[in-house]
Amino acid sequence: MSPRGDFTPGSSRKRGTALLLATAIVASIFATRLVDLQAVRGEALADAALTQRLRTLEIPAYRGSILDRSGQALAVTVEARDITADQTLIDDPAALAVELAPILEVPQDVLADRLSGDKRFMYVAKGVTPETWDEISALQLPGIFSQETARRIYPAGDLASHIVGFVNANGVGGAGIESSFDELLTGTAGQQTYERGPGGRVIPTQNQSSVAAVPGSDVQLTIDRDIQFVAQEAIDAVVRKSGASSATAVVMDVQTGEILAMATGPDFDPNRFTQALPEERRNRAITDIFEPGSTGKVITAAAVINEGAVDALTPIKVPGTLKRAGKRFNDYWKHGTLRLTMTGAFAKSSNIGMILAAEKMPKIELARYMERFGINQKTDLGLPGESAGLMLSRENWSGTTFPTMAFGQGYSATTVQMTNVFATIANGGVRVDPSIIEATIDPDGTVHEQPAAERDRVVSEDTARQVMAMMEAVVGEGGTAPQARIPGYRVAGKTGTAQFVDPDCRCYAGDVTASFIGVAPADAPRLAVGVFVHQPKRGRGGGELAAPVFKEITTHALQALQIPPSGKRAPRLSLTTG
Amino acid sequence: MTSVFPTKSSDAAVAPRREREGGYFRDLDWILIIAALGASIMGSALVWSASRADLAVEGDPQSYLKRHLINLGVALVLGVIATRVNYRWLRAYTPILYAASMALLLVPFVPGLGVTIAGARAWIDVPLGLTIQPSEFAKIAVILMMAALLSERRDIEDEPGARDVILSLLVAAIPTGIILIQNDTGTVLILGAVVIAVIAIAGVPTKWLVGLIGGAVLGILAAVQLGLLQQYQVERLTSFINPDQDVGASAYNANQARIAIGGGGLEGYGLFQGPQTQGNFVPVNESDFIFTVVGEELGFIGSAILIVLLGTVLFRAVMTAWKADDMYGRLVASGIAAWFSFQMFENIGMTLGIMPITGIPLPFVSAGGTSLMATWIAVGLLQTVRMHSLAAFRAQV
Repeated sequence: MSPRGDFTPGSSRKRGTALLLATAIVASIFATRLVDLQAVRGEALADAALTQRLRTLEIPAYRGSILDRSGQALAVTVEARDITADQTLIDDPAALAVELAPILEVPQDVLADRLSGDKRFMYVAKGVTPETWDEISALQLPGIFSQETARRIYPAGDLASHIVGFVNANGVGGAGIESSFDELLTGTAGQQTYERGPGGRVIPTQNQSSVAAVPGSDVQLTIDRDIQFVAQEAIDAVVRKSGASSATAVVMDVQTGEILAMATGPDFDPNRFTQALPEERRNRAITDIFEPGSTGKVITAAAVINEGAVDALTPIKVPGTLKRAGKRFNDYWKHGTLRLTMTGAFAKSSNIGMILAAEKMPKIELARYMERFGINQKTDLGLPGESAGLMLSRENWSGTTFPTMAFGQGYSATTVQMTNVFATIANGGVRVDPSIIEATIDPDGTVHEQPAAERDRVVSEDTARQVMAMMEAVVGEGGTAPQARIPGYRVAGKTGTAQFVDPDCRCYAGDVTASFIGVAPADAPRLAVGVFVHQPKRGRGGGELAAPVFKEITTHALQALQIPPSGKRAPRLSLTTG
Repeated sequence: MTSVFPTKSSDAAVAPRREREGGYFRDLDWILIIAALGASIMGSALVWSASRADLAVEGDPQSYLKRHLINLGVALVLGVIATRVNYRWLRAYTPILYAASMALLLVPFVPGLGVTIAGARAWIDVPLGLTIQPSEFAKIAVILMMAALLSERRDIEDEPGARDVILSLLVAAIPTGIILIQNDTGTVLILGAVVIAVIAIAGVPTKWLVGLIGGAVLGILAAVQLGLLQQYQVERLTSFINPDQDVGASAYNANQARIAIGGGGLEGYGLFQGPQTQGNFVPVNESDFIFTVVGEELGFIGSAILIVLLGTVLFRAVMTAWKADDMYGRLVASGIAAWFSFQMFENIGMTLGIMPITGIPLPFVSAGGTSLMATWIAVGLLQTVRMHSLAAFRAQV
């Protein structure tokens, strides 16, 4: 056992053999491991690898439109471009800014700022029109790119902005219909699946799939664009003229409960919603509650007549003051004892007369009628932020609660709720739930009409007819609102000048809510229109401030809806007895 | 123990013709050259595939391959030169080569010249955007110097004396210390394996050998315990024990390597087609983790072929050691065999998740200019040892 050569290796040979054997053993361990990884566990590891590479990208769906009752767009989504820059590719940001500034309508220095630096990705302008991008891309500027995006626009600007709402920067509805119908409008996002490396680069492989996005549905409102426009103009005008803190108007179809217009001032442009104050964005016609005042006397009158306690001509002796539970109640004008009919007490808006009339029925009935008229209940319009109103439950009543409620104070309601009370009377005593959603329209054009509104008889037809006649007296000779008359049409209505609860001190601070709610034509009722002016600085009475607004809106609405003028003259109910 | 090596009698009886008639080309170990070249060619393809994904985004996707091919070309030239080195000259000038190598090893500490990569200050900046890792050459220097020392009197004595052993350990200790300071743990481990193998083959008494191995183990334990190692170095060594639970970078590497190799299956996805490789999931897959590329893209078949090629290189190195004419040649070849085998085992082992992760390349395959040059010089030295042995054998016959 001696190797070639002239030296004897001794233990060297054995150790060499041992090392070679060790090498063989290690090599076989490797082989085993390789078989284990690639054959035995190969599939599981390959799956793990795929899971790691697969990425799913969401393809946003095209947002549905919001339309008025005739299909005119109030909110639409249009194709747009985000302009981006790779700052490392831009040699002369200042010169580029000079070129881009007039196209993008962004100041040069702002642009130069966004273009200089060493960021690989930077937004230069968001949501520009495709035409603007075409103009820019034609210049073939290095380092300037664009991304496809979508932009929500409100073609009618501030028209119905409180109802429509707006979409916030994340593409989620932030108010109004945009918020409450967000899911339906948004549609179903599509998905794109692809493989990518850890750096985000797409690996081109076969494992790519995509599911197309399903566009959102359209929402069609009951709003009539034209009437809405007139209502908003009239509300804006009265806010300006009277210095009021706010004003609201609601136009309702008395037969269907559909809201044709719902205006709130001050208003805002949803295209620039971020520039509006939160209180300007509030849809006060449904969120703000106030004590209705004399317009609430309609409920009292309807209740006592329907209970058979009085009728329109029942005589009521109205003293100068009335003491109840230690409190002295007055009318808004000084008088001695008056001999009025029920109609007279109503038309002259006598608080004392209404208290005396209401006392002819059990007190709890007043609260029951209020609830049946929809006071203290949400109308379920489908708009966010709606208030139910406020009403004391019977067990919390004090001695003055009932007499106060009888003339429309001591509880709170929204403009929509109060307008709905008048619509109920105008609809022969049948209350129809108000609605503002006409239909939703699927992307394929299928129209889903809203289910028919709930209808409840609140008072008898005869009661409704009597109250309508009494309300016509309000607009007639000796009534409080001759300003609400509309030539050619018979008008019924009721004024209100309620003490305004100051939201800061939760007390009566001297301000008022001037209101008029009317129905036209009184002989064949079609429209109920409520107008509320809060905290006016110039002028006070509902007849003086709200009735002319009613007249303007209603006149236009009657013409727009081509409602024929009244043929008969109004009945003349006697206001006084003896 | 029965030897697996052939006996002299059988050798003499059927000595092949090429062993009887000399000649440079005839004496070259062509099996070794073909296997090593095969591994380097496969390596170039793998480096290409691994690097083009990184470079595809910007720049020339072939630039990394081009640099690698230039390095390989230089390495092959150096390898050829090494085959022409005169055996006696080599032995005589070993101390000078050693001293030069130690000097080169200190250059990375010179500010402006040294480059730190992956925490190790072990590179020298040279023009043309290249870097040199002097510790790769230090491996050769240590092997040559130890071989020279331990073989000095071995032609007559049976065992090397204590003085030779201690001197040779000192020869290894100097570069080991420098490289430790440079934070290049992987190279330190390789040097340790080389030292143990060379001393073992030199025929030192068994108790010395046991003491040396025990000392090395104690040294590693002490380094870990005393906090001499950086935290990431300890993590690298321990993360392989339970890679699924660790979330650190080392465990990430180990997991990605297993996922990539496992996905390859029998045939692999095909060159340039491995999704984990092309997706850049495995870090440094053109160098330390290059085995994941062959695993994923060329599958079990490709991996096996590469392992067979590397195994052939190892086997031929061991055979060269075995057939060496003198102790010097045997120790040089053994040292090279130990170096190659440890580096291959550690590199492939860490990729397969059965060895801890250290940053050392796969010889012949990984990108890395100095590593390629050093391995090919080593191949040249193996040829020199072989040709000297054949010449001596012929002279004897």
